[in-house]
Amino acid sequence: MARALRSNTRFDLIVLASCFVLALAARALPDSMREPVATGMRRTFLAPLVMLQERAERGRQSLLQADAKQSHLDSLSLASMRAGELEVENDRLRKLIGIGSRIRYGFIPAEALHGRGVRDETTVILSAGSRAGVSRLSPVIAPEGLVGVVDQVDPTMSHAMLWTHPDFRVSAMSPDGTAFGIAQAHLSSDIGSTLMELRGVPFRATLKPGAVIVSSGWGGVWPRGIPIGTVLQEIKTSEGWARTYLLRPAVNPADAYSVMILRRERLAKGLDGVWQNATQVDQAVQRIVVSGDSAAKAAALAEAAARRAVQDSMARANGAPPLGVPAVSPVDTTGRAARAVAPAPRPAPERRPTPVDTGTPVRRDTIRRDTVRRDTIIRTDTIPLRPEAHR
Amino acid sequence: MNMGGAIRAIISFLIFVVLHYTLRPLLGWRAPMDFLILALLLASVRVRPATAAVLGFVLGLISDSLAPGALGAGAIAMTIVGFGASYLKAVFFADNLVLNAFFFFLGKWVFDILYFIGEQRVHGVELLQQLLLWSPLSAAVTAAVGVLLLFLMRPLLEPSPA
Repeated sequence: MARALRSNTRFDLIVLASCFVLALAARALPDSMREPVATGMRRTFLAPLVMLQERAERGRQSLLQADAKQSHLDSLSLASMRAGELEVENDRLRKLIGIGSRIRYGFIPAEALHGRGVRDETTVILSAGSRAGVSRLSPVIAPEGLVGVVDQVDPTMSHAMLWTHPDFRVSAMSPDGTAFGIAQAHLSSDIGSTLMELRGVPFRATLKPGAVIVSSGWGGVWPRGIPIGTVLQEIKTSEGWARTYLLRPAVNPADAYSVMILRRERLAKGLDGVWQNATQVDQAVQRIVVSGDSAAKAAALAEAAARRAVQDSMARANGAPPLGVPAVSPVDTTGRAARAVAPAPRPAPERRPTPVDTGTPVRRDTIRRDTVRRDTIIRTDTIPLRPEAHR
Repeated sequence: MNMGGAIRAIISFLIFVVLHYTLRPLLGWRAPMDFLILALLLASVRVRPATAAVLGFVLGLISDSLAPGALGAGAIAMTIVGFGASYLKAVFFADNLVLNAFFFFLGKWVFDILYFIGEQRVHGVELLQQLLLWSPLSAAVTAAVGVLLLFLMRPLLEPSPA
């Protein structure tokens, strides 16, 4: 028994000594040999443990950074909440700058301050007054089109009647001049005055849904060419002598915060081509990009060229410079340069009275398409007159 | 030890090893608990000294492989601790939590002393600070965690009835 114990003890000591010597040998290994041994162990049977340790380290790092990440996430959330508003505002301001560069002169930028009352749905306060050059019956426009008209002017601010007002009227027409009428708020609608209607359109003139309606320039308040809306459908009214069309307005007054007030001296020049150039050419180009088809490309390009040709011919017929040719200095917003360059007004022919009762009747100084001489109309199948051709 | 007891001891041993490579780095304390020492001590009191020495040697190499600069130091320390724990099991093997806590504390502190001396990485005041401050703290944490785990894993670690 005692011998067995001694034998066991000796065996234990021998094993201990062996392990100790091996450990000392491992400790004494040079670095060049130590690293491969350790690497070999890590890559083989210790790999699961190494993986566990790595995951635990990552978990610890995640825990330590959780607060910082959360605060960063909160900051990003706040920023993203504001980003939408900023994008909308940026887009609105870009449009305003774009329309301003096309109008070139004779306008006053202003902020539209919407009230919250029931009557405030049809009126708005503008942040520019008579000191800035605003006068009564100055048109108020947005990048999308018509907004309203100034009805009261103070030195530092003014009050405008929106198109949703029951008393608002504007003489309107189709861009090609084939249909004329009076646009006003569609008050009989169940959905309030969010739509417009075009009344008094002659029976011989039909408008298709989607047709754009612009201001005709009659009446002396509104210059010609400001988008009013697009035709939705014809509606039946008790007036049997004329057609009435429902319009989707170009501008929702509730969304108009940055507007432009046109000066009186700018009205005579009209706004032909300010909107059409941008929208129609953009639409044509967009169709080219979207279609990707050569035939569609050719058709869209031809359509764009034809529209440009019509616009050029109409601009020349109205006495305005052709598309792309600047009439005045872009930085001149007073209208002096325009007066210097503008041709002398032609004697206006006697016309039927304006359907808009906005004060003193003003004759149209532009020529309707159906009264233009044949030799002044440029055929759309010919090469359009380019701005470069004037050099 | 019968087969059932051996299996349960192996399972407990593996749980401690896994905890060493998961919970310890997750907590990242300055004075960390050492689950490998706990696993070695709990295994050593159940096997003969030679087996405990081999177990300590293997565990030491495993821990050293993740710190190649000290390869061998952990093996030396754990070999001695394992052998000593198994040799002295008659003294410490008692169903007393306080005694077991002291057993864990002493095992961890001795291991640290052997390890840092064998590693030869820290010297002078820093070595004294490590051995007299951080190592006892780590040993105390290890002892506390060891007692807690011993309490929680009592069904696994108790010898099965004959």
